[in-house]
Amino acid sequence: MLRVLRTLVAVASLVLAVPCLAPAQGKCEQPILLTSAGQSADVTIAAMLFKKVGLAVTSSPMAKVADLGGSKTLVVVAGFSTKGLGSAGVNRDQEMERVKALLAAARQRGVQVVLLHIGGKARRGPQSDEFNRVAAGAAGHLIVVRAGDEDQFFTKLAGDRKIGIDLVDKIADAAQPLGRLFQ
Amino acid sequence: MPRKNSLKRIVESLVALLVLAGLGAAQTSVGTRGRSATGRQGMVATAHPLASQAALDVLQKGGNAVDAAVAAAFVIGVVEPDASGLGGGGGMLIRLRSGKAVYINYYGHAPSRIADAAYDDAKDNKSAKAILVPGNVGGLTRALEAYGTLPLASVLEPAIRHAEQGFVIDETLSKIILDNVAVAQSHPATAEVFLRDGFPLQEGDRLVQPKLAATLRAIAKGGPRAFYEGPVAQAMVDEVRKAGGVLSLDDLRSYQPITGEPVSGTYRGYQVLSSALPHSGTVVLEALNILENTNLRAMGHYSTSADAFHVMAEAMRRAYADRLAFVADPRFEEVPIAGLLSKDYGRSRFAEIDMTRVVPAEYKKTPAGDPAKFGPGKGTAAESYDAVTSGHTTQISIADKQGNLVSLTQTMGTFFGSGVTANGVLCNNGVNNFAMTVKRNRIEPGKQPRSSISPSVVLKDGRPFLVLGSPGANRIISTVLTLVVNLVDYGMTAEQANAAPRFLCQKSDAVLSLESRFGPEIQAAMTHRGHTLQLYGDFDLFFGGAQIILVDQAAGTYFGSADPRRGGTAMGY
Repeated sequence: MLRVLRTLVAVASLVLAVPCLAPAQGKCEQPILLTSAGQSADVTIAAMLFKKVGLAVTSSPMAKVADLGGSKTLVVVAGFSTKGLGSAGVNRDQEMERVKALLAAARQRGVQVVLLHIGGKARRGPQSDEFNRVAAGAAGHLIVVRAGDEDQFFTKLAGDRKIGIDLVDKIADAAQPLGRLFQ
Repeated sequence: MPRKNSLKRIVESLVALLVLAGLGAAQTSVGTRGRSATGRQGMVATAHPLASQAALDVLQKGGNAVDAAVAAAFVIGVVEPDASGLGGGGGMLIRLRSGKAVYINYYGHAPSRIADAAYDDAKDNKSAKAILVPGNVGGLTRALEAYGTLPLASVLEPAIRHAEQGFVIDETLSKIILDNVAVAQSHPATAEVFLRDGFPLQEGDRLVQPKLAATLRAIAKGGPRAFYEGPVAQAMVDEVRKAGGVLSLDDLRSYQPITGEPVSGTYRGYQVLSSALPHSGTVVLEALNILENTNLRAMGHYSTSADAFHVMAEAMRRAYADRLAFVADPRFEEVPIAGLLSKDYGRSRFAEIDMTRVVPAEYKKTPAGDPAKFGPGKGTAAESYDAVTSGHTTQISIADKQGNLVSLTQTMGTFFGSGVTANGVLCNNGVNNFAMTVKRNRIEPGKQPRSSISPSVVLKDGRPFLVLGSPGANRIISTVLTLVVNLVDYGMTAEQANAAPRFLCQKSDAVLSLESRFGPEIQAAMTHRGHTLQLYGDFDLFFGGAQIILVDQAAGTYFGSADPRRGGTAMGY
């Protein structure tokens, strides 16, 4: 009996230790928590994408670990904005700390992570890329507006990590692959 | 003599280039990011190629700098509708070939019923309640009528065309729309312009503004009265009132720009002209007066010399402290301007500076000086602080072949202003430049708020040397100051000066804000002297988007530079 229990525990640990599964089509589940990595205004636009495909989402640009609750999927909208940080009352270091803690908790709990990068070139550059890299490094799938990937930054990250990536031309076009993930 | 001066400038430029090159291999190459031009007859520099082209076309067809500036200003209001336009205001410094210099203040003023708005800065700063009576149309048409040579309809043609046919959104506007989606969404008429099915227009999309085109056509046909009276005015009042604002037909009908003299001073033998009160030319001149008491060139460039960086920061912060204490609408408040601009006062402020450390240790405790001791005029220092706002506004710099110069800065307030659109015209939110708790800059009907705009002209031996200015909210002052230092003290070219790293040290902040291209050694040295640093991007729009024209009289050449931090271009001919 003890041996069976030990085996079960070992198997369970393996399952939990595996990085978030690449959420291929139909593999992402609700409830969904939507947050920002970098506090750009893009998270507001992202909420509209979910509305477009009829998906309920809890939007919390400053989501903390406690806000993960029972969420099954964490959607991270990456992009740095000094204006956004100022409005949120945090500095860059505090924001990075929050994002890293949230992603670590998501990983620990088996919450799927999806990166949305919809700000194009405006959300690239040294400061944004720090957040882009952290968020993409934890994600199981990327949805990216093509203008933000002209240098293949996200394509390479997806390739290195062997995760899926959807490249779209316009922000509004991101709704379709987003919806597919949750079918 | 001319040859010696040219050789001297070449040597100085080489030294400056070596300094900038020494900023580090990891930094973006200075020479590749500018948008520069040379010309033998004239130069234009604006934040958008279409506005620059409109100005250049006017000059090449025989119009003067004022014609060109007005054409560019109307175009820029179409192609940068978030940053300035018919619903905003500004200031224009004109320096004519004859030597006459004029400042046309076409900033807005508070509506007559502003008290009824019960304006609360915390929640109303991007609303209809924040709208000042818009001055753009009045100011630009006044300038054209008094100092231009072309008819209004001709000057308005390119703006009408770009509004009707549309233009392709560039990276800068795309980012600003993204950053301000919530404001665009706040008003249906604004959403109609900047969103498609609720999503923001992006780089590469075409922005067509038929309602704005119709308003521009009305002005072309009927002059400024077609904007300030009649159906256009009525529609604007109706829309603003519906959204909770207090603008009235009488406010519009009675709007008049203020024409007067720019402030004037000298810096190391150059004459500096800048914006009159309540705009911030006085602050730039005061800071230069302080710095004139030391040899910046001998210290080395501020990007590598802690002495130069520190003394500039300390001088800058004292000038900002005096701005908060004294600068106000002179029609409502007494401003000790003679004292503020006096060399002796600058000397007294310089004497307070300790080269080894920040004094006082906390920026926010930097006291105002006592300029009344140095010139006529009273004015009691009043404590106030500025909020840090986004780098909105736009700059146009023009020099024509006759020797006429125009430096123009115009604004919507913050990007997207109040968010209210009427007749295709986005309305400003300039009320947020008032300081609610300080009488000197308190809202009053008919009063203008204090503004940072500092369009400037620099002369050498009475002849054109520089035309410059920048957007950037309260960074306008630090940017214009730094540019003058780079061009006069360090002998940089226009492009080098525009590319040089920028910083801000003001009383209202606890930190010294700087671009990340300042190296670790200089950062450590400044921290050691007591400054707390906050880094921004390498070429950060936070520090403005300057447009510079440098005139090399000896070589008979105009050098133009549009800021690499913002879309735009200089064009010469």
